[in-house]
Amino acid sequence: METAGAILSFAEIWAWIGLAVAAVFLTFGIDRIDENARGAYVFRALLLPAILLIWPLVLWRWFVLETGRDDWVKRHRPPRRSHRFAAYAFAALIPAIIVTGLAVKQTWPEAFEPVRLEAPE
Amino acid sequence: MSVKYVPVQWNGFKYWYNLMLALGVGIYLFIFVEVAPGLLGHNPAITPQIHNARAFGSCAFFMLTVILMIGPLARLDRRFLPLLYNRRHFGVMTLFVALSHFFFILNWYFAFSGSDQYEALLFSNISYDQVLGFPFEIFGVFALLCLAVLATTSHDFWLSFLTPRIWKALHYLIYPAYIAVVAHITLGVGQDFQNMTFPYIAWTLAMVVAALHLAAALKRDDPESATGPWEAVCRAADIPEGRAKVARLSTGERVAVFRHKGLLSAISNACAHQNGPLGEGKIVAGCVTCPWHGFQYDVRTGRSPAPFTEKVPTYRLRVVKGMVEVEPEANPPGTPVDPVEG
Repeated sequence: METAGAILSFAEIWAWIGLAVAAVFLTFGIDRIDENARGAYVFRALLLPAILLIWPLVLWRWFVLETGRDDWVKRHRPPRRSHRFAAYAFAALIPAIIVTGLAVKQTWPEAFEPVRLEAPE
Repeated sequence: MSVKYVPVQWNGFKYWYNLMLALGVGIYLFIFVEVAPGLLGHNPAITPQIHNARAFGSCAFFMLTVILMIGPLARLDRRFLPLLYNRRHFGVMTLFVALSHFFFILNWYFAFSGSDQYEALLFSNISYDQVLGFPFEIFGVFALLCLAVLATTSHDFWLSFLTPRIWKALHYLIYPAYIAVVAHITLGVGQDFQNMTFPYIAWTLAMVVAALHLAAALKRDDPESATGPWEAVCRAADIPEGRAKVARLSTGERVAVFRHKGLLSAISNACAHQNGPLGEGKIVAGCVTCPWHGFQYDVRTGRSPAPFTEKVPTYRLRVVKGMVEVEPEANPPGTPVDPVEG
């Protein structure tokens, strides 16, 4: 129970930091790093949930763009081989999970008649 | 395509797509809840909350399954490409259906103790050291978090801000999410004593998804690689008007050599939007058109037509004895290169 409480507290702190990052980024930072965002305000509300979830990534990308470290070459280099890995993972794990689930599955005894238990003495 | 960001770039096709999607979800839920409760073995003695939870949960699974089928189907057969076009709206709707399942579960199974509901979800079963009786809910929570990241980062801003490379890496979360959903079903409703209709359907579909992805991954589509300071990529005569040949350069990059009005031009094969395969597209209204989402580029400059601002790298090229040769170092995105005869 303490662990569950700690996990939820961590999630809460994570979200509060995300909210602070979102407040600064959406009102100030976004205009500095993306010309298409200048003068466009309605769509910013849609960005809030993602910032709450991935704010460390947002801070890192903001830093990269602000400091001019963005490498344009990488923008045009898609991660092609990752799909092959994902496909192999699917092919191995999905059958393994199904077989494991069926192997441990308990069966209800056939012709089982329920028995009324006596009340304890 | 960008200019100024708007919440959703609606067009007629998207309206229809979303309308059909919402209609499909509505019809599925109606059939599940009202028409076929007996078929799925929950006719007797379950509460409306459980009934609704199962309806939304199974619906989310089927939606996720369809989403995961679209990619490999489009890879295996180009006729499925139109389904790829608006897959993000499909994903966002899946999140909302999955969230409905989550809250039906939370407000029934974890609603009647003195503990906080979310705490109860995490500590009511901690048998992590055994398969039978494993807290399968945690797989569902994990998948839900993955879907939340995918749906909330679906706006085009995130593609531009994170770069397609990081965005796509992040969106690979769909794969562990689906594996978690299969585990969630297998160790949850798959252990049911009575009706196994839904688990058998779900397992069959999951195997189909795995098979489709394997088939797409094994489909050999790696173009021939080239070598040398000027790298020969293909025969000029093999490039039809309005189409391209794709080649892999020694740098690891892929170049698409297009023929437009008889002249040849070379640009990066990766679209600036989602790194879609430009070389598999064709020239429409004078512009290379990405087969995934219709982003367009002037083949001579790598620039989207005004007022759009996307750019892709271009390559210098020449034709020697009928062979197209490309300089492997790409020009910065949007650099004009004179087309060559060939």
